[in-house]
Amino acid sequence: MLVPINIYVNGEEYSLEVKPNRVLLDVLREDIGYTGTKKGCGLGKCGACTVLLDGRPVHSCLILAPQVDGKEITTIEGIAGEKPHVLQNAFVEKGAVQCGFCTPGMINTAKALLDTNPDPDEAEIKFAIAGNLCRCTGYNQIVSAIKTCAQSSSAGSTEKRVESNE
Amino acid sequence: MSELDVVGKSYPQIDGIEKAMGKTKFVTDLVLPGMLYGRTLRSPYPHANIKNIDTSRAERLMGVKAVATYTDTPGIKFGPRSEDWTIFAGDKVRFHGDEVAAVAAIDEDTAEEALEMIEVEYEELPYVIDPLKAMEPGAPLVHDDKPGNIAAEFKVEAGNVDQAIRDSHIVYEDRYYLNQVYQAYMEPMATLADVDLSGRITMWTGTQIPNMMRMTYAKALDVSVDNIRVIVPDYGGAFGAKMENNIHLVTAILAQKAGKPVKLVNTRYDDFIAGNPRVPMYIDIKLGASKKGVLTGKEVKVVGAAGARLVYSMVIVATACYRVDSLYRFQNVRAKGYTVYTNTVPTACFRGFGNSQMTFVLESAIDMIADQLNMDPAELRLINGIGPNETSIHGWEITSSGLKDCVVKATEKADWNKKHREKKPLKGIGLACCNHVSGNRPFAREFDGGAGIVHIGRDGRVTVYHGESDMGQGMKTTFAQIAAERLGVPLDMVHVKDVDTDISPFGLGSFATRGTLMGGNGVLAATKDAFKQLAEIAAGLFEAGSEDIECRRGKFFVSGTPEKSLSFQEVAAEATFARHGAPVVGTGFYEPPTVLPDPETKYGNISPAYPFACQIAEVEVDPRTGHVTVTNFVAAHDVGRAINPMATEGQIRGGITQGLGWTLMENMAYKNGKLINPDFVDYIVPSALDVPDINPILVEPIEPNGPYGAKGIGEPALNPTMAAITNAIYNATGIRVKELPVSPEKIIAELKRRDEQKKNR
Repeated sequence: MLVPINIYVNGEEYSLEVKPNRVLLDVLREDIGYTGTKKGCGLGKCGACTVLLDGRPVHSCLILAPQVDGKEITTIEGIAGEKPHVLQNAFVEKGAVQCGFCTPGMINTAKALLDTNPDPDEAEIKFAIAGNLCRCTGYNQIVSAIKTCAQSSSAGSTEKRVESNE
Repeated sequence: MSELDVVGKSYPQIDGIEKAMGKTKFVTDLVLPGMLYGRTLRSPYPHANIKNIDTSRAERLMGVKAVATYTDTPGIKFGPRSEDWTIFAGDKVRFHGDEVAAVAAIDEDTAEEALEMIEVEYEELPYVIDPLKAMEPGAPLVHDDKPGNIAAEFKVEAGNVDQAIRDSHIVYEDRYYLNQVYQAYMEPMATLADVDLSGRITMWTGTQIPNMMRMTYAKALDVSVDNIRVIVPDYGGAFGAKMENNIHLVTAILAQKAGKPVKLVNTRYDDFIAGNPRVPMYIDIKLGASKKGVLTGKEVKVVGAAGARLVYSMVIVATACYRVDSLYRFQNVRAKGYTVYTNTVPTACFRGFGNSQMTFVLESAIDMIADQLNMDPAELRLINGIGPNETSIHGWEITSSGLKDCVVKATEKADWNKKHREKKPLKGIGLACCNHVSGNRPFAREFDGGAGIVHIGRDGRVTVYHGESDMGQGMKTTFAQIAAERLGVPLDMVHVKDVDTDISPFGLGSFATRGTLMGGNGVLAATKDAFKQLAEIAAGLFEAGSEDIECRRGKFFVSGTPEKSLSFQEVAAEATFARHGAPVVGTGFYEPPTVLPDPETKYGNISPAYPFACQIAEVEVDPRTGHVTVTNFVAAHDVGRAINPMATEGQIRGGITQGLGWTLMENMAYKNGKLINPDFVDYIVPSALDVPDINPILVEPIEPNGPYGAKGIGEPALNPTMAAITNAIYNATGIRVKELPVSPEKIIAELKRRDEQKKNR
């Protein structure tokens, strides 16, 4: 038995028929080609599959596709405009990207944080990304990259703004 | 050396933005037309005879295209260093996770369903998990032809240890245990395999050793090496784990049988139970010192658990036995190593390769000796540390050593002198050092160098081909910086190809902290060749001698007259036209000045360069919960010249974080012969909340054998971390950690025991 769903991914509508037990992650990666979202564990513990569901970060490996019928989903491919998002540039410039497998999920989590708390302190950043595992970088530079964007988005900051179209 | 334009600068990864935007295609992202999905059926028992396998129901399931077992393989015994592997288990499974059968189907759900329909009749056998128990008489035999389960023995002796120990002012003696831990790279092991009409197999997989792997797999699949092509797309981390693994061969067998491309991605569960985690070791150490703190003699015995087949555990045990001997000026050493079969997942490489295990033990022992002598542990390292232009007891020629600088700079930065002396309850500071190699001559017997190919297109596009492996550490960027510097072009003109064994040089790969030095020197040699060809063309255009031609920032000119120049693109175009379309292709190789060690004495210089480090950790211990928090971390590393300081610091931070995880939280736990925490729910790796500010210090004594003076950094980043933390715990509490990890339960129990002792006095 297949379940019809309509989802909006990065602003585009998709009408799909899915098995009731199909998870959002597999729909994104295998059915509609958004492979920027990664599968690291399938148990909601590594954060590599993090996408934004109506703006909130979720583990797409734990969400059944029929649950998101009618919802808006943003993947890593959807957060950039014509140029990369400030976070994407900041991650690269600060050395927060090594193998890059955790990066899409990490950036999505960071974006959701900054959208709700534009000027988080270090403790808030660490708390926000605590569910996103990175095995390469030791997190210092990830925190630093996010901090750069927080400062750059706060009014009156004298910090150098990372190039972006935003 | 003149001023450098590109080398020594902190460029972001050249492919970093692709990764950050989700555009990079990792192995798990790859798709081919008609591709099937593979899944593996694994043994649920640590040790059992296989009485029967019935795959008929699975084969009948709609959507299943191939079911494979041992009988579908050539049945040849093989292995990277032994002959104890088969592609699937034949008559017997030897660990919980051993490959029994596999399915290729039109999707993963179908493949999963089919696995449940395969009926296997097992007869359970007694098993053994602990390597000391495995050596006992009467222990179950993992392989019938290996009495006592001894897979390999290693011994080395130099000087007169017994005399030295007898003459020592003090002798420290104890047993340590280092547990089995998982590399936990974020992308699970995955392979896409395709077989063409001639039977030639192409594998796309994340591997650290694309070329060496083919040699092993050719034998297993009973094909010529030439009939296996390995392509290494971007992949999500390895840390030692992604070398030979049966899963690659299982995928190839499925593709052969189905006649279609097959992608097999390990579930995280599969990866935990059948990856190749760290070799657990019991280590006995006896270490002597004089009254003044000079290390006199050292004896160690290492017992390492190989798991159910040999991957590289015996080489890792050997490394544990003697690599640290070249960190200090040891004169008398003896080591004996046993690699022992057990009924667990086969163990293998994990950042540090045995040296991390022994560094933990040696640096703990030295801390105890310093304590007994009432000496500053930093001072003790300075007295004994090996220096530049010295030859170690095993004949290792230390061309450059920043070890003492590392100790001095780290202690300054950490305010060591003040903090180590003041005893604050439950707060402590600890220090540990390490050495390592940059390439390991005996690892591959035939050679140990590196090679490169540099292609200059008609439009001036520079493409570098190498045979190593970028697992995420940023090797592509390092190689691009080396090529850009030597050619005299901006970094964005240089591109680095993924390894494809049909095209790339025959590189040995990324292990032994060898990539930057060996691969970098290979790329540098190839770049010099390409430059020479371009310089000859430019010389003709300028009507000058080719030896006077320079290129800087993308412009060719005759030395002394930079105002009259030709662009790199113009010269590249002219070169291509002059050769009727033949591109400029530079090739070159690097032959390190190393030797195969003497088989008996192990004497001989095995690496062209040796990196060193000193790390300092600060901790706080919560007496109510037993929780240890690392509050600050300073890491001074001798890296030769950092080709890319940001990337080098990234390696240091990442290595320390893995070491922190090993010390405080990570453990592969077994119960009834089975791994009971095969997922990130119960196997905890550090999150952002666990990691302190890590302050790297780059010590840069230019290494004469390194490309632009560089040595490696990957493994030394982790080697001293465990002892730095546990020495800090000792400083904070007086508890000497002799077994990893330091769980809160252990700390609480020890604190409680001490309290009661006090009360009873």
